[in-house]
Amino acid sequence: MTAQVVMYPVIILLSSAAIMSPLGILEGKLKFKQLKFILTIFSLTSCLISLLTLHQQVSSEGHIEAFLYGFGLPFGVQIYVDEFSVYMAMIFCSLGLLVAIFSYRYMEVDTGLDKYYGLLLTLITGMIGVAFAGDLFNLYVFWELMCISSYSLVSFRKYRWEAVEAGFKYLVMSTIGSLIALYGVSIIYGCFKTVNMREIAMRLTLAQAELSPSAILSLYFATGLIICGFAVTAALVPFHTWLPDAHPAAPASISAMLSGVVIKTGIYAMTRILFTVFTVSPSRVVMEMGSHLIPLVDYGVILTTLGVVTITVANFMVLRQRDIKRFLAYSSIVNMGYIASGLGIAAYLLYHYSGQTYELAVTAASGAILHILNHAIGKGLLFLSSGCIVHEAKTRDIAKIEGIGRKMPWTGLSLTIGLFHLAGVPPLAGFWSKLLIVWGGLSCPQDLFLLISTFIIIINSIYAAGYYLWLVQRLMFSKFGPATEKAHEAPLSMVAPIVVLALACIVLTILLPWVLPMVKVSTLALLGGG
Amino acid sequence: MQELAQIQAIYIVTSVILAAVGLYCIIVKKELLKIVIGMEILTSAVNLNIMVMGLTNSGVDALAQSMAVISMTIGACVAAVALALVVNVFRHYQTTDVRKLRRLRW
Repeated sequence: MTAQVVMYPVIILLSSAAIMSPLGILEGKLKFKQLKFILTIFSLTSCLISLLTLHQQVSSEGHIEAFLYGFGLPFGVQIYVDEFSVYMAMIFCSLGLLVAIFSYRYMEVDTGLDKYYGLLLTLITGMIGVAFAGDLFNLYVFWELMCISSYSLVSFRKYRWEAVEAGFKYLVMSTIGSLIALYGVSIIYGCFKTVNMREIAMRLTLAQAELSPSAILSLYFATGLIICGFAVTAALVPFHTWLPDAHPAAPASISAMLSGVVIKTGIYAMTRILFTVFTVSPSRVVMEMGSHLIPLVDYGVILTTLGVVTITVANFMVLRQRDIKRFLAYSSIVNMGYIASGLGIAAYLLYHYSGQTYELAVTAASGAILHILNHAIGKGLLFLSSGCIVHEAKTRDIAKIEGIGRKMPWTGLSLTIGLFHLAGVPPLAGFWSKLLIVWGGLSCPQDLFLLISTFIIIINSIYAAGYYLWLVQRLMFSKFGPATEKAHEAPLSMVAPIVVLALACIVLTILLPWVLPMVKVSTLALLGGG
Repeated sequence: MQELAQIQAIYIVTSVILAAVGLYCIIVKKELLKIVIGMEILTSAVNLNIMVMGLTNSGVDALAQSMAVISMTIGACVAAVALALVVNVFRHYQTTDVRKLRRLRW
């Protein structure tokens, strides 16, 4: 397996993005306006197909490692693809495809669409690259590719003050975040003279006993920097303030991308670095069965605390919102809190009860990873349908669009399914991921920290279900608001992705017995066991 | 060996001071262009730290050099996007004072 074959998804998307701008000029000459759209759909579809091939290969032969340009360790640019990275990359690419279809009619009033589609493709490239990166610096480069594209896309409608202001706020916060994370990476590089994640983990394992207190201290410092840095994009609470501004200001298709997958990339990068680098594996040295990975640094406490604080604070903020997109933006922060606390509980169990609770840690982490998929589908659906509503009603005020779901039956029905899905109404998949997280948290009744944080999570999920149902009531069953008079169903190419996502919610629920093993395999790839 | 550790310590302290100056600049200054300059100072601090960490007796590690070069390129891209946004902010508000950019709340 050469490196180029593994990099096909990235190469396809990046080269399509590069020819997007010349294509825009060609279109003007040919008077045929659909070329950009066709190229985008074509490249995303072929990317998805190559990811499916990669997934088959990974699931049959295990992870794939490759070095670009033929340089080996410790200098080479390593591509490392395992089940978890392919899982994430497929989520990114599929949501990107649906968003591209949605943008066809939604963005037709805008100019500069060659830049729009080009940036959308580089955004997805960056995310897939983050998922495939095998070394810390490679991850940072793709990370910045993703971030720069999303800054430009948030402020794409630059004739509106809101977009420019929110875009600048997002740029400043996110740049500080990535630079802080890079500072952490440079400290790790200083300790080990390499940036390859698995090589660092190997050296840590070998040097575990001889680590001096100052080395342990600098590792803790680097962990803190990396968590803070990536938490800005993951929108965990002290660093979340950019998100409620950036999501409403961006075009609806881009808010769906941001909320559905970009903030997940933050949590992916954070947990990938933490679980891979700061985890000491006894089995790498002593090949004995039954020995499990032990995190060297106690990052579980930090992640769980951050997650629980995020859920609580954002839940208090949600009900103040009168703007539908801000409402959904705050509920994204809540869901990021679930994911962070699920992974935090897993790390906490591994650190404090090494070995005995491995299965339960896997349960909690797979709940979090299933929630990544659930939230990507659900929040993508909600933001796209809010885009349809705003497109028809021309306002984002919830009070003015009451009852609009009855004027737009397909959008309204899909929106209801999405809200039920994220509220965690039992048969739908959104319930099971939260249940798995809570199950992992309740596994050690003697541990007060876990017990309290799980209790807070449960209280918050019930409260969250309340306001989702409140939104359903306002949008579907209330009297018609002033802005709904002229509303009618959105065009087909806008409704189709929404209906597909709503069907995906239901199909995911039915296929859960088959999806859960796949999620568990991804979890094992992340936690490094199995 | 002693000498190398000393040089390294001096540069690490410098990079920490630079990072503090950059963060201070971003947080305190009210002028958008100064915020962008603060981001650039922070980028330089990180680049300096990467170079220091790669310091050996026979010069700087090749990996550190290549990382710093790529990081500088990325910093330039971010600065370009930031300056483009500053231009657009000026078009909307006729000022680059950050205190006037307070329309987004809650």
